[in-house]
Amino acid sequence: MQRRIIFALLAIVVIAVMLIKPRLPITVTDSTRGVYDQIEALDSGAVIMLSFDHEASSLPEIGPIGAAIAEHCFRRGISVVGLALFSEGNALGYDLLSRRAADAGRTYGTDWMYLGFRPQYTAAILGMGENIGDVFATDYNGTPITSFPLGERVRTYDDIALVVSIADGSMPTYWIEYAANRYGEKIIAALSAVMVTSFTPYLESGQLAGILTGLKGAAEYEQLLGIPKAGTRGMAAQSAAHVLIAFLVLWGNVDAWRRRKSDGTKR
Amino acid sequence: MNPLRDRLAIFTATAAGVFMTVQYFVSAPWMDATYRAILSWMQIIFACALIVGIGAVIKNHLTKIQRKPNERYYSVVLLVAVAAMAIAGFTGGIDQGSSFLWVFNHLQAPMQATVFSLLAFYVTSAAFRGFRARSIESAILIGAGLIVLIGRVPIGELLTPHLPSTADWIVNVPALAAKRAILIGIGLGMVATALKVIAGVERTYMGGR
Amino acid sequence: MMWETTITALLTLAIYTILVGDNPLYKFAEHLLLGLTIGYSLVITVKSILIPQAITPMAEGSLAAVIPIVLGSVMFLRVHAKLAGWSQIPLALLIGAGAGAAIPAMMQARVLKQVSATISGSGTLDGVIILLGVIVTIMYFVFTRPHSGGWGKAAVAGRYFMMIFFGATFAYTVMSRMALLIGRLEFLLADWLGVM
Repeated sequence: MQRRIIFALLAIVVIAVMLIKPRLPITVTDSTRGVYDQIEALDSGAVIMLSFDHEASSLPEIGPIGAAIAEHCFRRGISVVGLALFSEGNALGYDLLSRRAADAGRTYGTDWMYLGFRPQYTAAILGMGENIGDVFATDYNGTPITSFPLGERVRTYDDIALVVSIADGSMPTYWIEYAANRYGEKIIAALSAVMVTSFTPYLESGQLAGILTGLKGAAEYEQLLGIPKAGTRGMAAQSAAHVLIAFLVLWGNVDAWRRRKSDGTKR
Repeated sequence: MNPLRDRLAIFTATAAGVFMTVQYFVSAPWMDATYRAILSWMQIIFACALIVGIGAVIKNHLTKIQRKPNERYYSVVLLVAVAAMAIAGFTGGIDQGSSFLWVFNHLQAPMQATVFSLLAFYVTSAAFRGFRARSIESAILIGAGLIVLIGRVPIGELLTPHLPSTADWIVNVPALAAKRAILIGIGLGMVATALKVIAGVERTYMGGR
Repeated sequence: MMWETTITALLTLAIYTILVGDNPLYKFAEHLLLGLTIGYSLVITVKSILIPQAITPMAEGSLAAVIPIVLGSVMFLRVHAKLAGWSQIPLALLIGAGAGAAIPAMMQARVLKQVSATISGSGTLDGVIILLGVIVTIMYFVFTRPHSGGWGKAAVAGRYFMMIFFGATFAYTVMSRMALLIGRLEFLLADWLGVM
């Protein structure tokens, strides 16, 4: 089958399902529930660090997870300190937290704060274990972080209940190696689906406190929050696309088998 | 080639590496202060390296404008975009409501996401044309892939409850085992490479000399 | 605003034209994206790091930033044909310090804890399978020994475990890429065309 026919088939199937909008039940996995329960169990007034360790390329997939976690935190009165170890994650994270905080009526400097971007992740993660102010003397907009109540409260990882690394690559590995290993910080990885199989060993060994997986993880989290949004909306189309690929793989194999058989018969 | 400079570079790498390793195990006020200083220096040096890289790309495209008439217009587009973003960011700030953030949110981020969404088409085409069960290994790969593919989405739960649990088992047991072995191997390999850097054996940062 | 959404939508469609074949519209969008990304990185690097961490402290008379500024400035010598070699010094500091920090961290996180979890988790059937899987996969990667006899059979088993891993990873890769496509199509259908 010509490549362009396959491209067209994929587009047609996904668009058709998106327009029809069938409702599919979403079962919350243990993995997502584990993350939700940990955040739910925190006292209001606890501080969570959200690290936007991803590029704009993966925004449609893991943007919804970041949004869901931010919403959960603001709903519970948990303070959020945002930062980025990826350049594009910097603006994405600031924009996401600004919007969510505005929706939830949360105040910058008291309920949330955005530190900005540091390119050298080893130095940043290790440095925050000694003193966050050494790594981020000023926030995203250039204001000294100590001029904010939240900036005064949060000095090291001891003041942070957990770190959520929203990542499309291996950045959570470095959070584990440097923040968890050396400073005992709890790390949760909110991952692009492609990275999940790389991090299950860390979850199983207890080095990661939880994993959220891609758009499905966002859909499950939205289910727990009771707010169906981008994650939930995408599930029907996601299912359809997967079924299409499975069908194409099987068809390709059956077709190849039939050809091998007919070539064998001709000889 | 400058032997004194090269020796200084190797000495710097060795000294920094040994210090950072020892510092993990030994604590003393002067060591902690030096450790924090090195961590902050790393950010500034890295930032300067980023700017050098940016300069190299700009120089490359300026050269293209001069020497490659067929591609110069695209290089002009690139350089104009760099300039526009830089002017927007340095003059108008990077806060909510700035033109810098507007361009990022409405042009850069959506285009970046779109480029990567092309992979959906290519992975579909590759799956149809390339995934053939010609051997036991490929049959296992395809079988595991199909089970996880359908088991991990809501439609899998509708087909049979055994599919999601089987997909879970595949990911959390045999796939985990293989990945763990790969992790251990990579971990040992990277530790060996780091030791070679500190010992001055690995010198790729010096252009391979 | 509609015109903002339309601009974004047109650029999105320009990129999708590559599916039909290489064309000037796609090349334009590609170079525009690259230029914006470079400009963005330049602004963020200067405003988020160099100004607050180096330039401002220096301007305020702090000597703490002198050494990193000197080292960072030496990096710029890379553009000079004769003096480029001196940029090896700050690079050596970066790489050496990174390597030194990584040794205990990687040893602990990637090796010791993973081995420990494998052994301590082997009290269940799944744990035994994981233990065996880790062992045979590692045996597969020992290429200094011929894969024959019992070792060869174990290496084959290791290959099977890896095929399961690659299959699962393929499935998740599909999931990831499809999510990106769904996100972009939702923008086009809902935000731009308003048909969803």
